[in-house]
Amino acid sequence: MAGLPSGPAVPVEPIALDFGAAAAPETLFQQLVRHWLNERHAPDILPIQAEVLSALLDHIRRQTDTVQALRGDPDSSEAEHARIMLVQTEVERVKFVVRSYIRTRLYKIEKFARHIVATPEVQERLSQAELDHARRFAQLTESHFKVSVLQALPPHQQRLDDNTPFTPPMISEPDKSRAVFVHARDECPPVRLPDGTTMQMQKGQIVLTPYAVVEQLLAMGNVELV
Amino acid sequence: MALPVSLRNSITPPELELVASEELVEIIPLISIERTAFISGAYGPLRPPNKAKLPLWIAMNLKMKKKCHIVPPDWLSVDFLQNRLAQETSRPEFSEFPFRFAEIAKLLLDVASDDIQNSDKVRSLLKDIREARQAKSRDGLQKIDHSELGLPNLCSMEINEIRPFFVRAMGVLTHLTRDPEASSRRLDV
Repeated sequence: MAGLPSGPAVPVEPIALDFGAAAAPETLFQQLVRHWLNERHAPDILPIQAEVLSALLDHIRRQTDTVQALRGDPDSSEAEHARIMLVQTEVERVKFVVRSYIRTRLYKIEKFARHIVATPEVQERLSQAELDHARRFAQLTESHFKVSVLQALPPHQQRLDDNTPFTPPMISEPDKSRAVFVHARDECPPVRLPDGTTMQMQKGQIVLTPYAVVEQLLAMGNVELV
Repeated sequence: MALPVSLRNSITPPELELVASEELVEIIPLISIERTAFISGAYGPLRPPNKAKLPLWIAMNLKMKKKCHIVPPDWLSVDFLQNRLAQETSRPEFSEFPFRFAEIAKLLLDVASDDIQNSDKVRSLLKDIREARQAKSRDGLQKIDHSELGLPNLCSMEINEIRPFFVRAMGVLTHLTRDPEASSRRLDV
C-alpha cells in the first residue's frame, strides 16, 4: 500500500485498505486509543492487544519508509513538504500512544510482578516478553530482599508470602474494588452490583462503579473506561 | 520508573487533548494538497476554496502555518452556548454536549480564535457553563454510594476533573460497607 504517492502524476491510492473495513467503523488507531485509555484507568492488567499493536507497528514502519524515500527527493514542492510533515507528525502521535500503552502495562507488571508469577490466569493476559520481564523482575527483587535484609532475620520471618490476619498481604494484588468511570459502547447485559441489585447499562450511559462490576463487560468490549 | 507518578491514577488534560484531536473538523484550505494516506485513514485532496473534513490535529497544524481556516462546529457559537447556559442554570440535570467538547473548544480557541465569531464571548460563555456544571457535579457527590452512580451527559474533561475525589469517596464507602459485613460474620461465629 502506498503511504504517500510520490507526486501528482501517480494515481492516488484511495483509502488505505487495512482500514477500509466499512463494517468496522473503528480504525486500528482508535482501537489502540480505546485500549490505552482502558489500561490507564483499570486497576488490573488487561489482556495485551497484540494484533492491534503489531498491525500499527507495521503501518508505522511503512509510513516511515515512504517518508524516508520521499525526503530524498530534492525537487519536491512546498505542498509536498507539508504532506510529508503531516505524515511524520501522525507517526509521532501514534508512537506516543503505543509507548504510553506499553509503559502503563510495564508499570502494572512491575507493581504486581509477584502476583503475576503466582497466578496463571493473569499470565494469559501478558505477551511473552512481558511475562519474561515479570518473572525476571520478581526474581530480582526477591533475591535483593534476601541478600540485603531477609537473611539477617530469624528464619520464620524470612518469607515473602506471609498471610497474617489484620495486616495487608505481602503480595500486592490489583484492587478490583476501585471505582472506575464506565461508558457503555452498546446495550449491556445486566451486571450485579455490590449492594445486590442489578444494573443494565444503555448505550452511551456513563456510570461510576467498582471495577469488579464491569470487569466482564470490559473484557467483551461492551464498555470502555473514560 | 515505567510510568511517572503523576500519570498513574489518571489521564492528564494534554493526553485528553491528544485523543480529542482525532475528531474530524471542517476546514477551508488555502493550499492544495493531494489525497494522502494516513494511519488513521486517507484524507484530502485539498482544493481551495472547497471545504474538507480532516482530523483536528491536521487542521491545527495547517492553521498554525496559516494554510487553512477552520470552520468551527455548530455548537461553538454564541447562540448555541447562550441557549445551553440558560438550560444549564434553569434545570437540575446536565445538558447535552459532545463528549469531548471542552478539549475541542480549548484547542480551537487557542489556535483558531480568529475563525470563531465573537471568540471572547464564546470563551466567557464556556467558562460560565463550566462553572454551572461543576456546581452540579459537586451536588452529585451527595448521591454517591458504594455501588453505582449514574452520570448522564458528563463530559470527558469533567470526568477527569472529579475523578480523584469521586474514586476515593467511593473507595471509602466500599470499605465502610464491607467492614460491617465482615465483623457481623465474626459475631455470628
